[in-house]
Amino acid sequence: MPEEMRDAFGKTLVELGHEFPNLLVLDADLNTSSKTVYFKEVFPTRFIQCGIAEQNMFGIAAGLAIQGFIPFPSTFAVFAAKRALDQISISIAYPRLNVKIPGSYVGVPTSRAGASHNAFSDLANMRALPYMRVADPGDNHELSAVMRAAVMTDGPIYFRITRYTLPHLFDAEYEFEWGKGQQLLAGSDVTLIGTGMMTNLCLEAAEILAKDRIWAEVLHCGSVKPIDAELIAASAQKTRAVVTAENASIIGGLGSAVAELVSERAPSVLRRIGVQDCFIETGGISELLAHLQMRPEDIALAARDAVEAKGAF
Amino acid sequence: MRISSDEITHLEEIAYQIRRLSVEMITCGQWGHIGGSFSIAEILACLYFHELQVDPGDPNWPQRDIFLLSKAHAVPALYAALALRGYFPTEEIYTYCELGSRLQSHTDMRRTPGLEASGGALGQGLSIAVGMALGFHFLENPYNRVYCLLGDGECNEGQVWEAAMSAGHYHLDNLIAIVDYNKVMAKGFVWELMGVEPFADKWRAFGWEVLEVDGHDVDALLHVLHEARRVRVHGQPIVIVAHTVKGRGIRETEFNYRWHTSHPAPGVADAMLRELARNYARSEEGYSRLDKSDA
Repeated sequence: MPEEMRDAFGKTLVELGHEFPNLLVLDADLNTSSKTVYFKEVFPTRFIQCGIAEQNMFGIAAGLAIQGFIPFPSTFAVFAAKRALDQISISIAYPRLNVKIPGSYVGVPTSRAGASHNAFSDLANMRALPYMRVADPGDNHELSAVMRAAVMTDGPIYFRITRYTLPHLFDAEYEFEWGKGQQLLAGSDVTLIGTGMMTNLCLEAAEILAKDRIWAEVLHCGSVKPIDAELIAASAQKTRAVVTAENASIIGGLGSAVAELVSERAPSVLRRIGVQDCFIETGGISELLAHLQMRPEDIALAARDAVEAKGAF
Repeated sequence: MRISSDEITHLEEIAYQIRRLSVEMITCGQWGHIGGSFSIAEILACLYFHELQVDPGDPNWPQRDIFLLSKAHAVPALYAALALRGYFPTEEIYTYCELGSRLQSHTDMRRTPGLEASGGALGQGLSIAVGMALGFHFLENPYNRVYCLLGDGECNEGQVWEAAMSAGHYHLDNLIAIVDYNKVMAKGFVWELMGVEPFADKWRAFGWEVLEVDGHDVDALLHVLHEARRVRVHGQPIVIVAHTVKGRGIRETEFNYRWHTSHPAPGVADAMLRELARNYARSEEGYSRLDKSDA
């Protein structure tokens, strides 16, 4: 089994820290949870503790970026994408500063931490920021590739880190490209589009559907903004039935991005799997996935529903 | 330190021009903040024409001092100072607030030569200043300073105190904050809406050295800036609390919250500028873009 995604994050920070001497990491009293502590141990003078003051941390990151550094201001996704949204918006995104924002603890796997800590609106909030690129990596290899692409690309970037162990989707040589999705399985009846941890569950759903001879095409969109419009439109054109699955609210994130795109380019039946406009309360991960109807069987059910509905067109 | 009377006269002239050009651009653009631009005229004159190590011909010069306008709505005064200093032609001020202009209504570092950060949402600038002061440490640059100008009402914002706390914690003695303590906010007096007193005590409690000055007295400003940079360097950030008058320079705008955001009609601007000239013993000049129909 691969290591937890947050460990991959911490280790990749160290790797990149060796290659890029102007890379700095900022923390808001979460480093042993987020695993930025690995960077702190190797580069103690390049690790800046900001205390429980996230808005200030993002301003400091802006100042450092202006001075030519590559700052990674690290905190939980809820604090980055909600509490410090104005700071990210005006101090960082508006002037297109070279700040790389890791949002830890996204969505359902944050489980018992509850409503205040389980980020579900971060995809929506970040997607709506001009100049901000947004990624939700599907596995550790993609996470490392996203981080590498982040330091090689100029401008502000937000990427999600799930507190979970994700099976490998890609190999170690995988190269991430902004605006490029992957077709992981070809199919003809329905398109399943996943991001982050949900892509694996889409692959499991495809297996369930195959038993009933419903052939699902599975796409992975690690790059949420910019999104691979060509890949999605072409698939929707073919299947006319689309199911999106995200570890986030169905309002404003992947489902919305796909809805926008598909309505304009390849009108199809659409079903969105994700957090249905509610706060994610305290619970165990599997219980929550069941409660929120975000399991492979729920994706498969939505797919069947979509296939049936397209018959009515 | 000795300051010649020529130097003082020169800086007072710059401050007068900053006020005049602020009215010109706010009237032409039909939008802007006269009150808060007027109160910082002497401060900006002293910074840009005496204290700051900057090179208008090389805005990215690595050995330059940094100035951040956190109270970014007062940007007309800063545009005036930058234009007079040679960052862009003075004529360009008449594009202020036009669509596509290099001179936006608040600070946009991507468009305007000489601006170091973008802003407008109050409370954010001091954090950026902390980041840049830390940046100078990482760059092993002990020579340059970061100056950050805040408003008094702006100090209601919690983020200001997060930044202050972190500056104190990191002993950032290359950071100098200046507060335009003009006692007036957008909708009234600071002490009535959300008082900040005891103000100096708050900064001291966060680990800052506090210097106070009459923000319209050029001689006193030069002395306090000298002291902040060259005398008091012992492991603490410094805040200069500049006691000023909002709208200083014209009777109607002084100490008057209604001129926080208010742009005069051209005819009114003309009268204001004539009064400004009289108040500062200059030869009378009115609004340069007055139509006969505006009078």
